[in-house]
Amino acid sequence: MAEEQAVRVGLQLLELARARGAGSLLVVGTGKNVGKTVAMRAIYEAACDSGLRVGVASAGLDGEAVDQIETHPKPRLWLRAGTILATAAGALPRSPASEILGVSRLRSAVGRLVYARAAGTGFYELIGPSTASGLREVLDELSALSEFVIIDGAIDRLAALAGGHDAIVVAGGAATAKTVQEAADEIRALVQRLGVARFDPDDAVVRVQGALTVTQIGRLIALREQRQIVVRDPTQIALRGKALSQAFVKLRIRCERPLHVMATTIASIGPEWSLEPRTLVRAVAAATGLPTFDVYAGARAP
Amino acid sequence: VKPLALLDDASAQALAFDWLVDAIAPVSVYGERVFDELRPYRPGEERPAQERADRIAAIAANLDGGRLHGARETLRNLPDASGAIARAALGETLVDVGFFELQRFCDAIEHVDALLSGIRGVAPITNAAVRALSQALEAGRTTGGGFYLAGGFDTELERARRRLTQAEGELDAARARELERIARQLGRNDIGVDEFVVMRSDLRGSLPPGVRVLREASTYLLCTLEYDEPTLAALRDRARAADGVAVAEENVRARLSAKVREHAAQLEEAARELGELDVHLAAARFAQCHECSPAAISPEPVLSFVRARFLPLAVELTAAGRAFTPLDLELHDVAVLTGPNMGGKSVCLQTCGFIAICAAFGLPVPAGFARVGLFGEIAWLGIGGEDELGGLLSTFAKEVLRLREIFGRGVPPLLLLVDEFARTTNPHEGKALLVALLDSLRKRGALGMLATHLGGVAREGRARHFAVRGLLGIPRPPATSDLGKALATLAASMDYAIAEVTGDEAPRADAIALTALLGMDGAFVDAAYRALSQ
Repeated sequence: MAEEQAVRVGLQLLELARARGAGSLLVVGTGKNVGKTVAMRAIYEAACDSGLRVGVASAGLDGEAVDQIETHPKPRLWLRAGTILATAAGALPRSPASEILGVSRLRSAVGRLVYARAAGTGFYELIGPSTASGLREVLDELSALSEFVIIDGAIDRLAALAGGHDAIVVAGGAATAKTVQEAADEIRALVQRLGVARFDPDDAVVRVQGALTVTQIGRLIALREQRQIVVRDPTQIALRGKALSQAFVKLRIRCERPLHVMATTIASIGPEWSLEPRTLVRAVAAATGLPTFDVYAGARAP
Repeated sequence: VKPLALLDDASAQALAFDWLVDAIAPVSVYGERVFDELRPYRPGEERPAQERADRIAAIAANLDGGRLHGARETLRNLPDASGAIARAALGETLVDVGFFELQRFCDAIEHVDALLSGIRGVAPITNAAVRALSQALEAGRTTGGGFYLAGGFDTELERARRRLTQAEGELDAARARELERIARQLGRNDIGVDEFVVMRSDLRGSLPPGVRVLREASTYLLCTLEYDEPTLAALRDRARAADGVAVAEENVRARLSAKVREHAAQLEEAARELGELDVHLAAARFAQCHECSPAAISPEPVLSFVRARFLPLAVELTAAGRAFTPLDLELHDVAVLTGPNMGGKSVCLQTCGFIAICAAFGLPVPAGFARVGLFGEIAWLGIGGEDELGGLLSTFAKEVLRLREIFGRGVPPLLLLVDEFARTTNPHEGKALLVALLDSLRKRGALGMLATHLGGVAREGRARHFAVRGLLGIPRPPATSDLGKALATLAASMDYAIAEVTGDEAPRADAIALTALLGMDGAFVDAAYRALSQ
């Protein structure tokens, strides 16, 4: 197994995304407190340092000082002047004043969304649209206003991005797994699910309308189905754990509109326990086959 | 749009009221607000109804499609400034999003006024308040069309921002020096995040000064930065400068909010007028698209039209490459309408109702000419109108209950459109009921049109009799069983025009011909003709 290397994590993730021609990058996590926002910030800093006009948004509530669900402290978003952001009108700080670029008809959980340009550096709270289709609209609008867009994502909102060229980074770590193996399995499962390949139109298919459930999978495995099992997009695969791994071993699951998972990040420190960072980054890289970064340690494997 | 007592749900459905509402819907939030309150004109309000229809028709006639589209596109994407106006009027200091909305609001009014300048029926909306506010907000206009609380609003704000920029520069320099030193001492390229891991195996000696350990593990340390005194001093300077900017920004906001408050009443008036313009432009577009013209609104309950169309069907037919046959009719009391199946009796009734609804809402009507009274209620009875009454009753019982409801409401004058009432009971009694209905309508001073297949109703009810002209000849069924081809053959053979019948009703056998056309076998059709001749 290759040794991990000391790297500028944000810059490497940015370069990976741009090398794929992606104008936007979404960070999604296996759960809460797995370093999503920390990864996003590292990429953001690298993009700003590269001289790019950066757009940022969240797929839901984000940027609060304290996690809304688990009340753990969360990293806040310190944005530089010139950054384009989408957030709820009521979440924009009164000072420093921002340049208001537009008011969307979309609503977030706490009111309508606005597009603004940060005129001064400061802490910003990002609150995103409440629907998946809204996220697509926000991404398109930010893409029109900036050169590179970074989204603090949520898995259930990814459907709107399927079929596009947006790059996805999966974050995971000690917050949701007690052992290195458990964390690696969890990240691999999510990468596998989101990374389902596009179906081959020249090969036979069984199309699944809506979500692919455990019951359907059980039936298809029992029937020894050989055709491609095609869902609309990877978010329609409603499977976890053993059912998911069984499904990928025994069936050819494909989708119409794929997503593009390009890397993973790990957070070895959770709110209650931590995992050994080097072992974790190597294990996740080995499990997923993707470049894996430890944002906290500034390391990459392989 | 509120149909209020003019239409109940069943009648609204039968007469495609929702289609009309969609066709005349405005595009802006201001228009939606006015549209939500739109109600039909009542008998006695002929003059305002006429004025509204004339104004819309004038706009439609004088405004070319390009300018109409341009004005609607300006309105479509306009954010709602009403909330900001209301908040300022209540004494609140507005946030910058509110100023952005107000600036866009003023811009849109000025733009639309310029676009529609000189159009008959369109008065300019820009008033002194719009001009004053537009001028007050001008310093905030950015090159991309946004709004920023710029230094141009206030010299103190400008000065405070300069102080902040300087303080930030000093802080950034101090912090960069610290970060660079610590990264160098740790042997790393950079310290990218506030909390970072240092592997014990990488550590040569102790941690550099300025690094605090948050958590220790056997192989690594979770650390954070602790700034030195010069950096902390720069941080305090920056915080003071940021506070100064916040105060200066809030002062500018308070001044601008006071300006909005000062002009709130006139701004609200402009918002209402903008909404009304949007609603009128939507109606003008409807009139242009569907070649509508204003009806002569009569104080009498009459319904008279030439070359009228039931637009929902006309649009559907056009999309299918076919054409609607325009209808002529004059109705001033009660009348009976007969004609073959699929000859357009129901469509004639729907045309009557649609024209009357358009007139009631002060809209130009889809007809070459029309004279229409304002009705207290436009009601539909018969096919399609009884669904809401539940499943336990027979079709006939539902119709009777519905008629009782309509008569019970007693909103005069009534326009009642009856599509084959009592068709499911025996023809003898059905006819008697229709005659009684004609008599009852006459006594109520109502206008009514009763479509039926039963013969002799007009004669016995002493009512005028209209008929669909019907099949021009017996069409030959198409060679295939393709329903589309059969319908096309039928359409080509049918004269959908309505004509008044003055003499005795000639017996017709169009139903059997239609049966043949729709593909029933020859033996069946022949048997029907034989039975008819006996």
